[in-house]
Amino acid sequence: MSSFQMLKYQATKNKNIKIISSLCLFIFLYYLISSSNNNSDSNSLILENRKNSPYTYSDTNSLNKKKKKWFPENLPNNHISHYDLNSVKTTKNPLQNNEKILILSPMANFHLQYWENLLNLNYPRELIELGFILPRTLDGDKALKQLQIEISKIQNSKDDNIKKFSKITILRQDNDSPESQLEKDRHALQNQKKRRSQMATARNSLLFSTIGPFTSWVLWLDSDIVETPKNLIQDLTAHDKPVISANCYQRYYDENEKKNSIRPYDYNNWAESNEGLRLAANLPDDEIIVEGYQEIATYRPLMAHFYDPNGNINDEMFLDGVGGTCLMVKADVHRDGAMFPNFPFYHLIETEGFAKMCKRLGYEVIGLPNYLVYHYNE
Amino acid sequence: MKLVIWPLLITLITSIYFLYNHFIGNSNIINDNFPDIINTSYIDLLTDASSSPTGWNDGDRVLFLVPLRDAAEHLPMFFNHMKNMTYPHNLIDLSFLVSDSKDDTLGMLKSQLNEIQSSDDPLMPFGEIEIFEKDFGQSVGQGFSDRHGFKAQGPRRKNMAKARNWLTSISLKPYHSWVYWRDVDVETIPPTILEDLMSHNKDIIVPNVWRPLPDWLGCQQPYDLNSWQESDGGLKLAKRLDEDAVIVEGYPEYFTWRPHLAYLRDPYGNPKTEIQLDGIGGVSILAKASVFRMGAHFPAFSFLKHAETEGLGKMAKAMGLEVVGLPHYVIWHIYEPSDDDIKHMEWMAKEEIRLAKWNEIMDLYYKNFKNSFQEINFDDWENEKNKMMKNSDPFKLDRKVIVDWSE
Repeated sequence: MSSFQMLKYQATKNKNIKIISSLCLFIFLYYLISSSNNNSDSNSLILENRKNSPYTYSDTNSLNKKKKKWFPENLPNNHISHYDLNSVKTTKNPLQNNEKILILSPMANFHLQYWENLLNLNYPRELIELGFILPRTLDGDKALKQLQIEISKIQNSKDDNIKKFSKITILRQDNDSPESQLEKDRHALQNQKKRRSQMATARNSLLFSTIGPFTSWVLWLDSDIVETPKNLIQDLTAHDKPVISANCYQRYYDENEKKNSIRPYDYNNWAESNEGLRLAANLPDDEIIVEGYQEIATYRPLMAHFYDPNGNINDEMFLDGVGGTCLMVKADVHRDGAMFPNFPFYHLIETEGFAKMCKRLGYEVIGLPNYLVYHYNE
Repeated sequence: MKLVIWPLLITLITSIYFLYNHFIGNSNIINDNFPDIINTSYIDLLTDASSSPTGWNDGDRVLFLVPLRDAAEHLPMFFNHMKNMTYPHNLIDLSFLVSDSKDDTLGMLKSQLNEIQSSDDPLMPFGEIEIFEKDFGQSVGQGFSDRHGFKAQGPRRKNMAKARNWLTSISLKPYHSWVYWRDVDVETIPPTILEDLMSHNKDIIVPNVWRPLPDWLGCQQPYDLNSWQESDGGLKLAKRLDEDAVIVEGYPEYFTWRPHLAYLRDPYGNPKTEIQLDGIGGVSILAKASVFRMGAHFPAFSFLKHAETEGLGKMAKAMGLEVVGLPHYVIWHIYEPSDDDIKHMEWMAKEEIRLAKWNEIMDLYYKNFKNSFQEINFDDWENEKNKMMKNSDPFKLDRKVIVDWSE
């Protein structure tokens, strides 16, 4: 007996199969009827046009079924909202004008000190929006969990004294990023181009998903910056510069001197040198120059080396490359198009390329050598 | 009995598969808790903002961007196209940037939008609609020849680029899958434009843009010359120019010998044919939202000697993205006469008046002529002529005439 006949035989004998098959038939018929009904009953212009369309349109185009999780909510009447951007101001007194600050942090690891430092900033939280982007790695999973716990402590707090941030957006990167974020691998010269290109993509994704019509300032604050002055936002905006960078140092224990000390950390804040320009001129188009490697000696004046403990904290210097560990940018600069190149742009990439792009757009880039923020010590 | 187990096993496996997909495959570890946190959203760009070639069935949200400047007269035509679109309207979010307008663009826009959004057809209303007002100040006039003159191109392009960048950066949300740029002055476009472009599944894709012409100009013409492939001539020219120069296509000042998408059109060609491009025009661009998220934008400075939409093409290429044009798939821009055309049309109008006057004069002349002379019956004249001439018939001249000379 062939298996088909056997199946037929079983079907006549077995009640369950009968029920299942009739159920299947019923579902299939129901599906047919419902889908044909939908198309014939309406005299909608759109349905009329779809008849001439070479594409098939599934039933999910009806309004009730959502294929994706996210869609605009709380829409105004007729879904129309109107914004006059001519009234948005970016001034050196953001507090007086109730200017909105967007703080953006790419986050590979979550450091509690970073979060506590963020909470200690004394700019009103109702004027602060936060944006985070996390890599698709196990570290990212871990950071996401910790971040979620800490955020909910603030945002869901019943205590009226704890002010809430006006908006928080957390993004998960769609592209792959290297698994290893170890200090050693992270800084190997040959990995730099790929790593920083991915970093630039992450920064851009975060920026262009979160910057809104009413954002006045964007503060880039790396998730491993664990200590800044409380007045960070007011201090940086007070200079009223399109792009301004703090000097990033690191606290450590000096084994020789047997005491706590500080050392420069971020070498990406620099002014261009003749040697740097000469190097760039002789490079193939797709090569990049990165700072802080003995292999490439650019002799660029690095802001990290210009720190003077007795100097005026408000001293400014002109920069041609920035590091992005703690960087205040007028939102207009980003809206004009300044972003973090994830490709060699004048032989520069990521934050250093960003500084170059700002200059190409006609904005000046400033650094504060005596204004320190501190990086986490791994 | 063994055979009874088989169907059961199959159902079991499929149900496990579906359950797995539902709970583990697509979901992320803990995102389900995030909606509970006030003012906080968690978006996974891989799943929540993915772009599919059949986005209309996969819930892909399209951000539809339209820059507007003194465009009130074009809006009714534009919204007619919008009403006809077959892509699910609830998946389309519209954003308009109204800048430096002296006419009633804003009022017109709002009334047209309100009409669409309060339509009886439940499929008609669009998703979120945002209108932004921002003036950038304009360095050049808005007449066709002001805008399209060679000298005006550099600064004009940079300003347009800024406006476009503002619009993308303030309206792009984390959940958008596609971004579609559209000029308001497109006259003829298929209602399936989004599906047609989307089904190619490219990072950036543009159709061919032509415009109809009055018959005295040859009926039709390529309009958008900004979509092109790079050439050796173009690269050489770029090397020669200084850092801030902007190469613009379609002007005799810059010869690049580049193949233009517009000129590659074959009216009978396959509309699905693709060609690779390096520069693109901005009349109708469909891009994956990830392209703009990655940082690609319209350079408001000279990027590799290009700006705005052509610069976007160059930048996307530098990022390793695919930029494609459809030579045989055409949308039609409206015809706006250039200064020369206007002069010619003025001449044609004058010529018409002159001819009318001339005809009037001639009519009068013929009338006078008729009245001044006596009408003669042609047949009488012919009869008389025959009678008079019959004796001097030349054919009879060779008859022999005999003359007697004797006395």
